[in-house]
Amino acid sequence: MAGIGRRSVLAGAGALAMPAISYGQTGVIKIGVPTILSGRVALVGVSSVGGLKTVFEKFNADGGINGRKIELVVRDSKGAPQEAAKVTRDLINNAGCTIIIDAEASSASFAVQEVIREMGVLCIHTNSETSSLTADPKLHVPTAFRTARQGIHDAIAGGEYAAKVSKAKGLKRWMTCSPDYAYGRDNTAQFMEYATYFDPSIKVVEEAWPKLFQPDYTEVVTKVLNANADAMYSALWGGDLVAFIDQANLYGLFDKMQSFMVNLGDYGVVDQVKQFPTGVHSGNRYNRTVPPTAENEAWYQSYLALNRHKPTNWSWENAVAAELVVEALRETKGDTDGKKLAAAIKGRTIKSVFGSKGTLTMRAEDHTLIDYIIGFGVSLPQEPFITGFAGADWGPIVDLERQWKKKLGYT
Amino acid sequence: MEPEALLRCVGAASCIVTQLTSGLIMGMLLFLIASGLTLIFGVLNVTNFAHGSFYMLGAYISLTIYRLTDNYFIAVIGAALAVGVIGMLFERFLMSRVYGSNVLMQLLVCYAVVLIADDAVKLIWGPAVLSMGMPVEFRLPPWRIMGGVVPPFYAFLILAAALIGLGLWAVIALTRFGKVVRAAAVNAPMVAALGIPVNRYFALVFGLGTMLAGAAGALAAPVRSLTPGMGFSILIESFIVTVIGGMGSIGGALVAALLLGLTRSFGSIGFPLFVDGAMFLIMILVLIFKPSGLFGKPAR
Amino acid sequence: MTLRQDLLLALGGLVVLSALPLLGLSTALRDFLMFAMAYALLSMSLNLLIGTTGLVSFGHAMFFSLGAYAFGLAMQSGHFSIPVAFVFAMVLTAVVALAIGAICVRLNEVYFAFLTLAIQMLLYNLILAWVPLTGGDQGLMGGIPRPRFWGIDLADRMQLYWFCAASFVACLVVLRQVTVSPFGATLRLIRDNATRAEFLGIDVFRAKLVAFVIAAVVASVGGMLLTLFVSGAYPNFGFWTTSGEAIFMILMGGSRVFLGPVLGTVMLRVLNDVTVAYTEHTEMVLGLVILLFVFGLRKGVLDIVAERLSDRRQADLRKGP
Repeated sequence: MAGIGRRSVLAGAGALAMPAISYGQTGVIKIGVPTILSGRVALVGVSSVGGLKTVFEKFNADGGINGRKIELVVRDSKGAPQEAAKVTRDLINNAGCTIIIDAEASSASFAVQEVIREMGVLCIHTNSETSSLTADPKLHVPTAFRTARQGIHDAIAGGEYAAKVSKAKGLKRWMTCSPDYAYGRDNTAQFMEYATYFDPSIKVVEEAWPKLFQPDYTEVVTKVLNANADAMYSALWGGDLVAFIDQANLYGLFDKMQSFMVNLGDYGVVDQVKQFPTGVHSGNRYNRTVPPTAENEAWYQSYLALNRHKPTNWSWENAVAAELVVEALRETKGDTDGKKLAAAIKGRTIKSVFGSKGTLTMRAEDHTLIDYIIGFGVSLPQEPFITGFAGADWGPIVDLERQWKKKLGYT
Repeated sequence: MEPEALLRCVGAASCIVTQLTSGLIMGMLLFLIASGLTLIFGVLNVTNFAHGSFYMLGAYISLTIYRLTDNYFIAVIGAALAVGVIGMLFERFLMSRVYGSNVLMQLLVCYAVVLIADDAVKLIWGPAVLSMGMPVEFRLPPWRIMGGVVPPFYAFLILAAALIGLGLWAVIALTRFGKVVRAAAVNAPMVAALGIPVNRYFALVFGLGTMLAGAAGALAAPVRSLTPGMGFSILIESFIVTVIGGMGSIGGALVAALLLGLTRSFGSIGFPLFVDGAMFLIMILVLIFKPSGLFGKPAR
Repeated sequence: MTLRQDLLLALGGLVVLSALPLLGLSTALRDFLMFAMAYALLSMSLNLLIGTTGLVSFGHAMFFSLGAYAFGLAMQSGHFSIPVAFVFAMVLTAVVALAIGAICVRLNEVYFAFLTLAIQMLLYNLILAWVPLTGGDQGLMGGIPRPRFWGIDLADRMQLYWFCAASFVACLVVLRQVTVSPFGATLRLIRDNATRAEFLGIDVFRAKLVAFVIAAVVASVGGMLLTLFVSGAYPNFGFWTTSGEAIFMILMGGSRVFLGPVLGTVMLRVLNDVTVAYTEHTEMVLGLVILLFVFGLRKGVLDIVAERLSDRRQADLRKGP
């Protein structure tokens, strides 16, 4: 029987590699970033860090705060929630991180939320779009915030836009085709709920639920064909959307119905699809011409200068988180205490390139971002990749969101 | 469950044609991949858990060749050959060293190669999603047969896969190479004792098996999106096909692959939420009642 | 080794384990050990099947996840105390394992492996699909309530650690007793020569089934510990890659020596943590290290050690008095 000493020495050797030192008011400010850097959605991590860099590199170049600079500690959790939890704990306990920017996908974000609940450091979720993370009061954590767009906001804005189109073109029979997991199901259900709210003559006649990362969409495409609908909504994203469009083109799907694909607008998808269907409506994700301001174009260029790929939706969400962290640190004069930073961020309004009216607000009541530019347009296969963008008004969005929360018992 | 929808479809010629084509295309591509897997197992008695990576390499290499030559057919042939060579190198330098060890060591080696291949692809081609796009030759409107929809590109793929399958059978059944391979599958030491360099044949067979996976990846590239780690999704399915068809039986792989393809295609109408579960259920039933598979030889 | 010697050793081990985090080292060590203990129970229990009985299961993680979800759901319901939820999850796992084992252990080798894999994936898809109960791909959200029991408060991280350590050592004692008992000898006989075992009148099916159920229950305890650590249960606890990780832990640490899988777990976790901390190319590094291990060592570490020790003993014996 092997000695226990050997086991514990091995364990100790690994864990002691980077002892935890508490950085109080001096030295580098370490920000831990648990994210996905490998496998099918490696782009999530790569573009998230890309967005963070556009803000933090400038912050450091400008001298930091009282000479203290920010250092990013990025770790790959491979998307597994238990690894994400462990990585987050290690970042805080072992690597000396006093702030966490959680660039995980939605399921791992819930795991990170539980770690933050226990450890009390500032945490900003930047990629999870699942509304319940902030909407459900049972999941609330005082030092956790979200700068990612929210599914319910997209649904209300998108539903309103879709209703306008459907009234103009008489699109009564609708078909949905979205990936079968929490984001896909919630997003699609909410979109159709609000589309029907704005245009009650809309009816969902058929639903298709391909599995996430399914390589072959043939049976889904034929199902959509057979449904004989006037319009289709899809929450497919990334590589799945590219494959779906390629396969759907073979069946001439897009000639037969109007399509609304909320995630088509992302660089990496809209500029990858070779045989582009015309007249497809898409959400704005990130686009250099939305808003068509000089500041937006400047951010786009600064991103390209730092990274080898174009910015994605994840990039701007992370850049906003970085902005909030920088402003909060300035207010606390470099104090990284979780509660103090949270107090500085809660309810804060910042000037931002990505705001629908030039500003963004971190809503105090549920710690989620509002007033970001949101809406639908028609996708194009070449620059600027979107046209006819209609930005949604936040007043009605917030009102309807409040009703939705009441309905679900969140308030 | 939607039995009425299924009945309605079976009653309409147009629906049958459409669903049959879609079942065939899924089945034939799966057959191509699984045939390589079952060939390797049948002759070398080794399970190539890294098979999905060769599919992925086939897709990526064909994309690169296509971008350079703008010719889809050259891309497919070039990628298949390249993957075959990589497969032979993998067999000679890595797999052959663990032939004697227990299957778990082989699993470990394959897993390591999968990890390395995924990261290598990410380094060379980048983490973003890539798309080949439909070659100009196939940018045609879909054919209408009896009211059903049949894309010409899919018809081509089905034909290509069938021809490759036929070619494979011909090589194994009719050529001297095939005869030696079949003999080595039954009794390799004996073949070696006859003075035939069995190791060389092993390498060629392994290369042939991986080439089939690479060819599938290259053929399907115009309609699939390329990401690092894309081999994952087809790995489990090709295993299910091999188990159901019988490890080592290429004919079995064909039947099983078509069965799964048609189950998927008609299943998405009749029992859409249970299609994946249905596949595993069939696998479980086969394992319980005929563990060696539909066409497999009883356990050695 | 007699039961008393084993118990004394176990007690000693527990004392050392409990004292480790108190040595003023960072809390990272405590977190590492808790994570490692949960996975070590998975790999140790799997080795009862692979190393002792010769049953290679590709689907063992299904019991890991079954324990996690059963325990997590029981606690979230608010009707159970922690010890009751624990026992509930173990009993539920035992019943399910009995049913699944009865189907699977009839088959040999590769087919047993594939059948366990298929059933595991079926269960995985079931967990994903049953969203109202399991939360689907989001897992059990909102954390796991930890009401006090027997004066112990598991919300305190240190007490949680001691609870994990105690559960871990207790499970190891159980596995040890099974392995060194006559029943364990029966299992080894079945591993080495099942036909001979049958000829000796042993009910091979029953023996395999009992081993299967015991292994499942110990794995479920591992799942419960992980749930407490992560404050949630997630579908990928029962994905085939988790089963694969357990197999690698056994391979690296050694399948013939009792504590081999524990060493393998620690090795793989250290490798994983170090790679993640120092590089972005986690997959490439991990893959290369595994290849080095397979072609360099070729066997589990403790298996090599045990062989060397036994060789030396043989050499000494040959030398004579």
